[in-house]
Amino acid sequence: MDFDFSADAIALRDSIHRFLMVEAAPEMLREIWETASGRSAALRAKLADQGLTALSVPESHGGMGLGDLEWVLVQYELGYYAIPDSLSDTAYLAAHLLQHLPNGAAAKQDWLPRIASGQVRVAVGHPVNRLVADAELADLLLLWHADEIHALRRDQVQLAARTSIDASRRLFEVRWTASDATRICSAQAGAALWQAVHDRATVALAAQLLGLAQRMLDLGIDYAAQRKQFGKPIGSFQAVKHQLADVAVKIEFARPVLHRAAYALAEQQPLASIHASQAKLACGEAALLAARKSLQVHGAMGYTWEADLQMFMKRAWALDASWGDRSFHKARLAEHVLADGVRLGPGETFAIPEPAARATRAVRSATA
Amino acid sequence: MTEARPALPEDELFRAEIVAWLDAHLCGDYEAVRHRGGPGDEEADPVLRRRWEQELARGGWTCVGWPKAEGGRGLSIAQQVIFHEEYARAGGPGRMGHIGETLLGPSLIAWGTPEQKARFLPGIRAGTEFWCQGYSEPNAGSDLANVQTRCWQEADGSWRVQGQKIWTSLAHESDWIFVVARCVPGSKGSKGLAFLLLPLRQPGISIRPIRQMAGGNEFNEVFFDGAVAEAGHIVGAPGEGWKIAMGLLEFERGLSTLGQQMHFLHEFELVLDAMRRSGRTHDAQLRQRVAQAWCGLRAMRYNALRVLADRADAGLRREALIYKHYWSNWHRELGKLAMDVLGPEADVVSDDPLIRRLQQLFFFSRADTIYAGTNEIQLNLIAERGLGLPREPRPAAA
Repeated sequence: MDFDFSADAIALRDSIHRFLMVEAAPEMLREIWETASGRSAALRAKLADQGLTALSVPESHGGMGLGDLEWVLVQYELGYYAIPDSLSDTAYLAAHLLQHLPNGAAAKQDWLPRIASGQVRVAVGHPVNRLVADAELADLLLLWHADEIHALRRDQVQLAARTSIDASRRLFEVRWTASDATRICSAQAGAALWQAVHDRATVALAAQLLGLAQRMLDLGIDYAAQRKQFGKPIGSFQAVKHQLADVAVKIEFARPVLHRAAYALAEQQPLASIHASQAKLACGEAALLAARKSLQVHGAMGYTWEADLQMFMKRAWALDASWGDRSFHKARLAEHVLADGVRLGPGETFAIPEPAARATRAVRSATA
Repeated sequence: MTEARPALPEDELFRAEIVAWLDAHLCGDYEAVRHRGGPGDEEADPVLRRRWEQELARGGWTCVGWPKAEGGRGLSIAQQVIFHEEYARAGGPGRMGHIGETLLGPSLIAWGTPEQKARFLPGIRAGTEFWCQGYSEPNAGSDLANVQTRCWQEADGSWRVQGQKIWTSLAHESDWIFVVARCVPGSKGSKGLAFLLLPLRQPGISIRPIRQMAGGNEFNEVFFDGAVAEAGHIVGAPGEGWKIAMGLLEFERGLSTLGQQMHFLHEFELVLDAMRRSGRTHDAQLRQRVAQAWCGLRAMRYNALRVLADRADAGLRREALIYKHYWSNWHRELGKLAMDVLGPEADVVSDDPLIRRLQQLFFFSRADTIYAGTNEIQLNLIAERGLGLPREPRPAAA
C-alpha cells in the first residue's frame, strides 16, 4: 500500500472539485436550506451528469463499476462543499447493498440502472441511527429489521419529520411493518451486508468531515488575511495564526488514516471496521477543532447567521454524531485493542501490505 | 489554611435575609422566568423580566454594591458574592439591568457630574431605564481604540453622533446607550475620544438586529445619523473618552462573575440529569469529562473563596485577569459535553425543555471565548499585565 491513488481517480476528484466550485457556492446552499424539502432536483441532475450517481453501480447495470477508493475522494469534495443531497446514501450505500444481495436479481434490475442514471433517491435505515435521512423524497427505503434487509416504497411507510440543527440534513422517524413481502434479504446474509454498509457510511462521513475541516480552515485563513485590527491583518498575529496551524496539523494527520480505511474497504480486509472507526475519530476530531478555531478566528462574525462558517460548522457537528458517535467508535477501537490474541506491536503496526495500486486493479477486474 | 474563612455572623444573617426574600418573591408569575434570561437566553420574556427588575428594586435588591450615598446597599465584597450566589442558586432571572447596574452606574459614580448622577442613577436603581453598551464597531473589535464613529458639538452645546456600532447586546430592549466616539477630527487610537450618553429612541438612531447562528437576535447593529446627546451628557471631558471607557471595563470583570458559578453549577446539574436520562452514566469517556468539568467548577469556586479571603480589591483584580480565560474555556467544553451526553437527541431541534436548554447552552458557549475580550486578547493581558512581558507591537495605535 503506497497511499497513491490512480491517475484516473485523481482526475475524477479534480473534475468534481472544479465542478462543485462553480455549482455549489454557499449562496446555493443557503437557498436550499430555506426550501421545504431541503433538496434540489436541479442539483441532483447536475451530480448525475457528472457521473456521480453511477460511480459504484456495476457496468452490467449501467454504472461505472468503481469503488471505495474513488468514493473516498468524492466524499471529501462533498464535505468540502457541504452538498445537501442524498447522493451518498443512494449511490454509495444503497448501491452497495443492492448489488451484493445474494438473490436479488429482480431488485438489482429494478433499481441499479435507475440509481446510475440519477432518476431515483434511496434512503437507508440502519439501527445505529435513530432517524432516517432523506426518507421523504426517497423512492425506495432499504430498512434494517433484525439483520434482515427490507425494501419499501415511500407509500408503504409513515414519516414524522425531525428538524436537525444542520438544515442540510432532512431527518425522519419512519414507521413501518416488516413482512415477508418487504423482505429482500435474510438475516444470515444481511448481517454482513449491513456491516459493510455501516463501514462505508463511517468512512464516507469521515471523508466529508475532513473536507469540512479543510473548508473551515480555508474560511479561517481567508478571514484572517482580510480582517484588519491594530492596522494589520489579524492573521499576522501569532495568537491567531497558531490557531490555524493547529488545524492544519490535525487535518494532515487525519488524511492518511482516512485513506488507509478506504483501502481496507476496497480490499475487504478483516479489520475494515476498525480502520473505519479510527478514520471517523481522526477526521471528526479535525473537523471539531477546525470549527472551534475557525470560529475563534472569525470572532463575533463567526457567531452570526450571515457568515458562511455556521453552515459548515453545523454540518460538522451533526455528521460527527451520525453512524456512530465518538463514544461508539472509541468503544469499538478499545474492544479491538484490548481483545485477547490481538496482533499488536511493531511487526504489525509497520507491516507493509500489498501496493494499493496493484490491489485496486485486481478489485476492478473482478467487478468488471 | 481552611477551605474558607469562617463566615461572620452578620454574613450568615445576610444570607438568610436574601434567601428568604427570594423565596417569598421569586414565585407566582415570576416562576416562568426562573433560570431564564441567562447567557444565550437573553430574549426570554423581556416584559416579565423588566417587571422583575422593578420587583427587585422595591425589595432594595438592585445595585447592592453601590455606596449607600448613591442609593445602593453598600454591601461588603463578601456580602455581594453571597447575594450573587443565592440569586443564581434560586434561579433568579438573567438581569436585564446589569449593564446599567454593573457598568454605567459605577462609572457615573466614579466620574459623573452630580447632575448626571441625579438624572441617571435613580432609573437604573428602580429598574425603569435600561442601558446598552456602544463600544465595538465593524473595524474596532479587539482593536477598540480604532473607533471611527464621530461626534461634534453644536452651537447650543449639544453633541451630534455619526457612525455605526455593532454587536450591541439588547439595543432593541434598551432605553439608553453609552457611546465612545471620536471628537477630535483626524485623531488616532485612544486619543481624541469622548464618552457620550444618548437616548436610543430618537430620529437619528436606527437599530438593525443581527441574526445569530442559533437563530436568535440578541445583538444588533446601531446606526447613528446626526443622533443627539444633550450638552450635559458627556462623561469626563472631551478627549477623556478612552480613560472612562477602560475604567468602565474594570467594573466588567468584577464581582457578578463570581456569582455566575452558581449558574454554572445549575447547568452542570442539568448535564448530569441529561446523562442519567439518556442512560449514558456508564460511558467511560463521558464519565471522565464530567469529572473534569466538576474539577474545573471546584477550581473556580476555590478561586472565588480565595478572593473573598483577601477581603481586598487588589486580590480581585489579579484573579479577574485570569478568570475570563478560565471560565470561558471551561464553559465552552461544558456546552460540548452537554451535546455528547444527549447523544443522538443533540442534533435534532426539540421541544423538550431540558434538551432545548442544553442546545442553547451549546450554541451560546461557542461565543464565550470571543465576546468581552477574546481568548487571544485575554492571553495578551495575562502576559503583558500579569507577567510583565513586552507588548506585542500595535502599529496603528497613536
